[in-house]
Amino acid sequence: MKTARKVLGNVGRFSLNLPILLIILVPLLYTLSISVMPPSEIYRNRLIPSSLNLSNYINAFTNPNYHFPRFILNSFIVSASVMLGQMITCSLAAFAFSFLEFRGKRALFILILATMMVPGEATIIANYLTISRWGYLDSYQALIMPYLTSAMGIFLLRQHYLTFAKELHEAARLDGCNNWRFLLSIVAPLSRPALGALGAYVFLNTWNQYMWPLLVTNTHKYRTVQIGISMLYDIDAQSLGLMMAGVIIVIVPSLSIFVFMQRQLINGLMAGAVKG
Amino acid sequence: MRKGHASAVRSRLTFYERMEPYLFLAPALLIFCVFLIYPFVRTNYLSFFLTDKYGQAKVFWAFRNYTDIFKDKSFWISLKVTFRFVLMVASGGLIVGMITSLLTVKKYIGNAFAGAVYAMPVAIASAAASMSFKMILHPTNGLLNILLGTSINWTGNANWALYSVAAMTIWLTSGINFIFISAGLRNIADDLYESAAIDGAGYWRKLWHITLPGLSPTLFFQIIINIIGAFQSFSQIRLLTRGGPGDATNVIVYNIYKNAFENFRFGTAAALSVILFIIIMGITLMQFKMEKRSVNY
Repeated sequence: MKTARKVLGNVGRFSLNLPILLIILVPLLYTLSISVMPPSEIYRNRLIPSSLNLSNYINAFTNPNYHFPRFILNSFIVSASVMLGQMITCSLAAFAFSFLEFRGKRALFILILATMMVPGEATIIANYLTISRWGYLDSYQALIMPYLTSAMGIFLLRQHYLTFAKELHEAARLDGCNNWRFLLSIVAPLSRPALGALGAYVFLNTWNQYMWPLLVTNTHKYRTVQIGISMLYDIDAQSLGLMMAGVIIVIVPSLSIFVFMQRQLINGLMAGAVKG
Repeated sequence: MRKGHASAVRSRLTFYERMEPYLFLAPALLIFCVFLIYPFVRTNYLSFFLTDKYGQAKVFWAFRNYTDIFKDKSFWISLKVTFRFVLMVASGGLIVGMITSLLTVKKYIGNAFAGAVYAMPVAIASAAASMSFKMILHPTNGLLNILLGTSINWTGNANWALYSVAAMTIWLTSGINFIFISAGLRNIADDLYESAAIDGAGYWRKLWHITLPGLSPTLFFQIIINIIGAFQSFSQIRLLTRGGPGDATNVIVYNIYKNAFENFRFGTAAALSVILFIIIMGITLMQFKMEKRSVNY
């Protein structure tokens, strides 16, 4: 009797969620549904396909006009490079700010925190002009270089490093371990959760970028996947199914990171960032 | 005492040891200087010049870019559109975040699943979501028109375009609102609720007298995050409406983009960027000031 009431209470509580759950999920389910719908049914305004039609996915991957595999490769190269780059530059800087003493430490740290307040739009024009003056338009360098460090990453790792006991550093030094080795073989392995949070967050953000790749790429050789899907519409506004298949393909890596690294991702987000 | 010791140690350091911290900082500082500080200064500098189509400063114009912008009617329309958009997105996101957090704060079967779904939009790219909503809002074959039995051009009609883009942005930002507000809810001390329950307070009274005051620092922080984020929205405008129809969705960021990369008026675009920066800076500073005063703990 008691358990029955408990189950009922649970069901009641959960059912309160249904309307909003539906609103959040429907855009994705609808996109998925359109992507596997036979084209004729899209134009008959069906909501659920009568049969499974994978031709849009096959088309996206095999039709050479769409360059989809290339876009995916580009996005992976850029996102992985930015992720690794930030892990390295932020680790190094955070190490200096938490373990070392030097002149100007406070001022430099405040300067780096202040950069968080400058919105991307206040720098994007001048950055575009710099990249174009260097002849780097349409290249991996253009996509990667401006994002190789971040104040948020330095801040996140510093917070973590500050939890280490100072004695650990002193003991390592007495044993003749220099700072570089101390960071690489002691601090970094012990900071896996923080590095994971930074990595998941940065990879996802770079994968999801739109404005900067739109500005600095002109050909399919370097375009990222987000630009790729938005161009499917310009190439052929009639193939709505193909467009939606493109969206699903792009979302799969993002959602995988979300599902498998949810905790790290949320820790990264909480470290203070605004989605751009 | 400690300071004396530190300086004694420092004087015994070799040149390399004194320089080493800067070596650790060098990669990050180099990137910051080249891609953040320099371009920020450069943008401010360009805003005082007439530029050619390659973005080179040609004629010193002092404040003419600014006065031209302030005299231009379309700037004021753009500003108004931006503020309306920001207001809708910031408050809409907060309300959705509030409701979803309150619905999942207690443990029950399925609450973890609901929480995961509510957080999920943080992982979705704005470009991908925009394409998905392009289909939903499609004038002839889109879901919304099918469900409502209408044939409204949601993104091409000046009465609907801004609401459509705002609704899509609320969907996109609901995840981050949920995550932060949930964390805030979990930080409210349980014993407050327990003593209120002993006093016989019901759900709504507890919500009004304990939850809302306890949550106010979080809500305040979150609305600032929402405002700053909304000011910077670009992908959905570019992909759903291109600022149109007319100037109906021509928010400042899209205005900057059009000036710089469609009309090659880099000086004007730079001046608009500076104006946007000042607005965002003002809001951030206001946050610091008000956080000290008006928030109940």
